[in-house]
Amino acid sequence: MSAGIGFYAFSTQERDIHTPAQDFFPDLLRHAQNADGGWGYRPELPSTTEPTAWSVLALQAHEESSSKTLASATGWLQQAQMTAGAWPTGSGKEPGCWVSALACLALISLKGPSQNSVIRGASWLSETWPAEGNFLWRLRQQKQAHSVVHQDHGLRGWGWTPNTASWVEPTAYALILLQNIPTLYRPSRAVKRIQMGEKMLYDRACPGGGWNAGNPLVYGVPGVPRISPTVWALLALRNYQNHDINVEGAEWLRQRYQSLRSPASLALAHLCLKVYGRAENLLETRLGDLYGNNQFLQSIPAMAWASMALGGVPCWIESSSQAIEAK
Amino acid sequence: MSYSNTRLVPPFNRSPSAVAIRSVSNYAADVEAILWEMLQELRPPVRDKSVLLKPNFVEPDIEGMINTHPVVIRAAREAFLRLGAKSVIVAEGPGHERDTEGILEELRLRDYLGPLDRSFVDLNTDEVSQVGTRTRASRLKSLFLPKAVLAADFVVSMPKMKTHHWVGVTLALKNMFGIVPGSCYGWPKNVLHWAGISKSILDINSTVRPDFAIVDGIVGMEGNGPIQGTPKASGVLVAGDDPVAVDATCARIMGLVPERIDYLQRAALLLGNMSEERIEQLGETIANTSKPFEMLPAFQKIRA
Repeated sequence: MSAGIGFYAFSTQERDIHTPAQDFFPDLLRHAQNADGGWGYRPELPSTTEPTAWSVLALQAHEESSSKTLASATGWLQQAQMTAGAWPTGSGKEPGCWVSALACLALISLKGPSQNSVIRGASWLSETWPAEGNFLWRLRQQKQAHSVVHQDHGLRGWGWTPNTASWVEPTAYALILLQNIPTLYRPSRAVKRIQMGEKMLYDRACPGGGWNAGNPLVYGVPGVPRISPTVWALLALRNYQNHDINVEGAEWLRQRYQSLRSPASLALAHLCLKVYGRAENLLETRLGDLYGNNQFLQSIPAMAWASMALGGVPCWIESSSQAIEAK
Repeated sequence: MSYSNTRLVPPFNRSPSAVAIRSVSNYAADVEAILWEMLQELRPPVRDKSVLLKPNFVEPDIEGMINTHPVVIRAAREAFLRLGAKSVIVAEGPGHERDTEGILEELRLRDYLGPLDRSFVDLNTDEVSQVGTRTRASRLKSLFLPKAVLAADFVVSMPKMKTHHWVGVTLALKNMFGIVPGSCYGWPKNVLHWAGISKSILDINSTVRPDFAIVDGIVGMEGNGPIQGTPKASGVLVAGDDPVAVDATCARIMGLVPERIDYLQRAALLLGNMSEERIEQLGETIANTSKPFEMLPAFQKIRA
């Protein structure tokens, strides 16, 4: 395994991905943690919300929530939360946005003293609407796009950023979060938002199976599904595994799985297929080979997803039947 | 400098631009030699500078009509190094696909450039700085932009020659959408759509001025671009020191009238030359390389 720039200074050359795979990616994540408790998108970059959330979600299977690693990560996430309850992507200058669902999810997974942060975050999410339905949006639809994109604009999920449209991935993240909030603490709008968000995801499925970013049909041409939105949509809809659209999506994902050539897509697809009871073997070997290509471009989220894919199904994406079995 | 201290020059006070056109039959041709000849004619001032190549990577495509071809990227890297560049990196923030490495591997970019953890920067997840926009055509008063771009001495926009179902064409100027990080703005970068695509193009290009452009028109896309169109073997490479002039030249090669393309009109006011009289044409002529592109009905009006 070749050593990359800087980042691998900590890594012993004899470390071999093929033997301790389950420990390899968690170790990389631990070593990449910043002194402030968070993670950047690559080692040595300043801490930002998304990679910190994924790292916590990956490491919580390997560490006690009271461990120094996770305690300092919790601290970072809590201090990054904005007054209104949302999280910015990073520096604190950005508006609260899509990463809020991931930050909340990470704090829930730790089952630590972050209940208030989670409630505020979930409340912000459930009160935050995308821009569809506002006056400007309706005007635009009437003027130009009605014949261009084919979707039900009455179904609103979540956008990537405030005052923009709903898209598949941020909607899926928000749904997974709200599904995981204990009933007692659920914001009052949560149930309605979950129902509408799920309908929106079904409406945005690509003809033939899977999801793309959120435009399944443009100028009458079917969109090509992509791995990441398909994975997160399927996970957000994991409790309806027999629904035709889920079945088509999972089958599309299974067929694509063998030919995947990047670690992020491979790990996410594996995780999703595991939830759907269709995971295949050889993940360790394939991830090892792919790591040798470009060292995952040093992507912390990709390392976190690889770590999760090599472990059991995390409780926050268990289907209802898996949850019952686990109990 | 590509960022800061770059003056916006009105048309009456602007020197002419140089644009080179060369026919290239396919990607098996000696693209490296052809591009080297073009750059020798154009002589971009890159000695001892850090060069950032910004290709157009959108999502995997088996027909090679969506993304800038790796052959062209490697040829550009080699040429800039031969011209004395201190360093050359490739950087892109794909707009639809979060798995950047997946696109790079599907494109086989590693086969052309070597291991990518050393030579490629994912602009979607790079460290960002907040930067005020130099123009305020859109409602975007500032943008969070990647430090890799802001720190580069010389930025080269390397688009594919394609039609675009919202703005007509996507070339060197529109390609700069890819420097806006997905981590801050999402996949797609929907904020830019809501702010107005044409206006955002002007604001981004006035804030980070691409110093040079190389357009991969060897195989482009016509019809319902930039993703769902059909391949167009236009067999051409276009390069120049003024992205507006390069885009206007490409539009003419595509059988379009650049003056009818909204964002080019805006860019010609402040950023570069659009009129043929202000563009010194090197290499081959527009007439000899012109291959009109099929356009969606909404954009028939921009055809020549």
